[in-house]
Amino acid sequence: MGALAHSGGQIAGITMDRTASQRAGLAQGAQMAEWIFLLAYCIGCTVIAVRRQHVQGRPGPGGPARRPGWGILLLPLALMLRVTTGGGALTLLLVLASGALVALAPQATRRVFPYALIGLGLVGLKEVLLSGAAGYSTAFGGDLYGGGAWRDHLLLPEALLFLAAGSYLAIRWGRATPRLTLLVAGRPAGGRGRPGGGSAPRPPWNLLLIPVAGLLAELAQPAWAFGFNGGADLVMVAVVGLLTVAVVLLLPSVAADLAVGGLLALGVYGVATALLWPQIFPRDQDLLYGAVYVTSRPLAVLAGLQGLALIGLALWLAPRALDKRTMALLWPQRASEAELAGRVEQLTQTRAEAVDTAAAELRRVERDLHDGAQARLVAVGMNLRAAQKLITSSPEAASQLLAEAIDSSSRALTELRNLVRGIHPPVLADRGLPDAIRALALDTPLHTETDIELAGRPEPPVESACYFAVAEALANAVKHAGARHVQIHARHDGTMLRIEVTDDGSGGADPAHGTGLRGLERRLATFDGILAVSSPPGGPTLIVIEVPCALSSPKISSS
Amino acid sequence: MRVVIAEDLFLLREGLSRLLTAHGFEIAAAVDNGEDLLRALLDQRPDVAVVDVRLPPTFTDEGLRTALEARRRIPGLPVLVLSQYVEQLYARELVADQSGGVGYLLKDRVFSDDQFIEALRRVARGGTVLDREVISKLLGRHAQDAPLGALSPREREVLALMAEGRSNSAIAQALFVSEKAVSKHSTSIFAKLGLAPSDDDNRRVLAVLTYLNS
Repeated sequence: MGALAHSGGQIAGITMDRTASQRAGLAQGAQMAEWIFLLAYCIGCTVIAVRRQHVQGRPGPGGPARRPGWGILLLPLALMLRVTTGGGALTLLLVLASGALVALAPQATRRVFPYALIGLGLVGLKEVLLSGAAGYSTAFGGDLYGGGAWRDHLLLPEALLFLAAGSYLAIRWGRATPRLTLLVAGRPAGGRGRPGGGSAPRPPWNLLLIPVAGLLAELAQPAWAFGFNGGADLVMVAVVGLLTVAVVLLLPSVAADLAVGGLLALGVYGVATALLWPQIFPRDQDLLYGAVYVTSRPLAVLAGLQGLALIGLALWLAPRALDKRTMALLWPQRASEAELAGRVEQLTQTRAEAVDTAAAELRRVERDLHDGAQARLVAVGMNLRAAQKLITSSPEAASQLLAEAIDSSSRALTELRNLVRGIHPPVLADRGLPDAIRALALDTPLHTETDIELAGRPEPPVESACYFAVAEALANAVKHAGARHVQIHARHDGTMLRIEVTDDGSGGADPAHGTGLRGLERRLATFDGILAVSSPPGGPTLIVIEVPCALSSPKISSS
Repeated sequence: MRVVIAEDLFLLREGLSRLLTAHGFEIAAAVDNGEDLLRALLDQRPDVAVVDVRLPPTFTDEGLRTALEARRRIPGLPVLVLSQYVEQLYARELVADQSGGVGYLLKDRVFSDDQFIEALRRVARGGTVLDREVISKLLGRHAQDAPLGALSPREREVLALMAEGRSNSAIAQALFVSEKAVSKHSTSIFAKLGLAPSDDDNRRVLAVLTYLNS
């Protein structure tokens, strides 16, 4: 980890040499002091991040193994970005902000790092594409890009390398952050889709809005294409970026729609350029569209072709990425067909799984009865028969046998009780889900807070599946997470029953690796329900159970 | 002592009647559903009732709810609830009114008739009797907490028996120690938990349960 910060410092050193000689206006001493400060800051942040990582990731008994703190890679990257954008208060701010992020949330920086790499690659790529255009002057003339200078023959390979590495890491690490996927895509990482979504997990198309907003900003605004020319542009870029991220996070369902709409708008703009140039776009104004700097009719046609490509991309994306409600508005027929097909596929799969699960459950019950209660009752019968024979000849031996018979019958009862609890818990039958969950909470050796408000009862099978899911979540919290406090929250919003179980344990739970969570996920899927797990190493673990269902009016009031 | 029995399974109802008659109880009524139980409790005003949790017509916790209802109308009416399973939730509801005269036991406990009859008499006298499964779960939940963790193993045993509702002499018998030793332990336990000591068995149980349920 220390070596990374060191390499960041080396890049800084090279820049310092060049910029100091090229920018005569800046006093060398002041710049030196700035770099020493930044270097010390970076090293400090790295040390804090590594220490935090170490403390959080320290494996408890049965806890997860420590994961590397990739987040600190953000620091050298921030320094590289500083180099590419050429100094100034904003880039100083960038380094300070990434340092704070690295130190305070080493895990979260994993999510930022790949996208920062991609952004760096895109800036480089744009510079390569535009460098030949007549009248284009770069804003990065004297600065460095990665290991070389702008306009250098290394620029293209470096930009591609950044793009490739960023994309690879985004995909690879994207899977490791279920909470983000859950937040953005509205469904668990690797989990089952909603009704109509088919059984395969769909990619989070709404993330598309981020690159599309970037494209819009780059292509539709000629002034920005020549690099960041001043504070006003930077503020605009920052505002657009923030708005985009806010939309993606807060309104994930409309983000993909906006992205497709944005691509369409861009495409239409390109085609309009080809058709109307130069009447609408006078020659004396800078006009840049994508990789083309429009100065003549043929170049305008090229811009039009690019526009067509974007329109094609938008049309290709539309059926894949658009929100279901938007789809239903635009192509009612197609949306319902696709939904039906996905639904049939999903039902076929969950039905097969439900039958398998039920059969396995029956086999387990049969085995438990055969080896347990049944065998004990046989023993009771034999003991009683023997006692009957001995009762006159040897009353003491008979009494001994009777005591054994009593003991056996008591054990048989205990086993039957546990078996019944595993099939259908009595409190659930008596009182319904809220009281059954409260009873579970009371039986757990943890401090449990329950906040449950349900106006009625779901169908018994749904109730049962939810109950066992909560029971498993609690059992995991006790056994694996070493938790002390658990919170259970349950609500029904009219169409969906949502239960959240949060514990303060060591985290690292993964439904993909054994545990009963996978089986419960299947059981819930029979009712179109989902089970999402967010359990970063170090905790906390959040398990969300969602089942679409209606509540019947309460037959029994629970006091 | 007059007793009302509510149990829907004929064999068990007869077995209980025979057992209780053998120990000198008088069977005031033996019913097999919730409605009859409520009527019998209100009309007969027995000295104690033995009630199965699950009764017709709903075959859910009809027995428990009927018992609670009867106790709302006749405060302190002694009821011993029997069940195939014990739930802390139900135990809490039974002891919630703090008026004593309640019991909650697994049906298996009927097997050891001496202890069962003793428990029934204690309930009839206004005591509180809880199954040891309820208590062990309650104690398990607090095992790591500071005040309970400070108890010695022997003190924890005494606390568990106290919570089940046993008297000092019964605890002494169960642990093979003198009654004086038990009372010494109980003083020490109450001091460690910060509870006001009490000689009254029932008030002692309720104090311990309130503490454990908090």
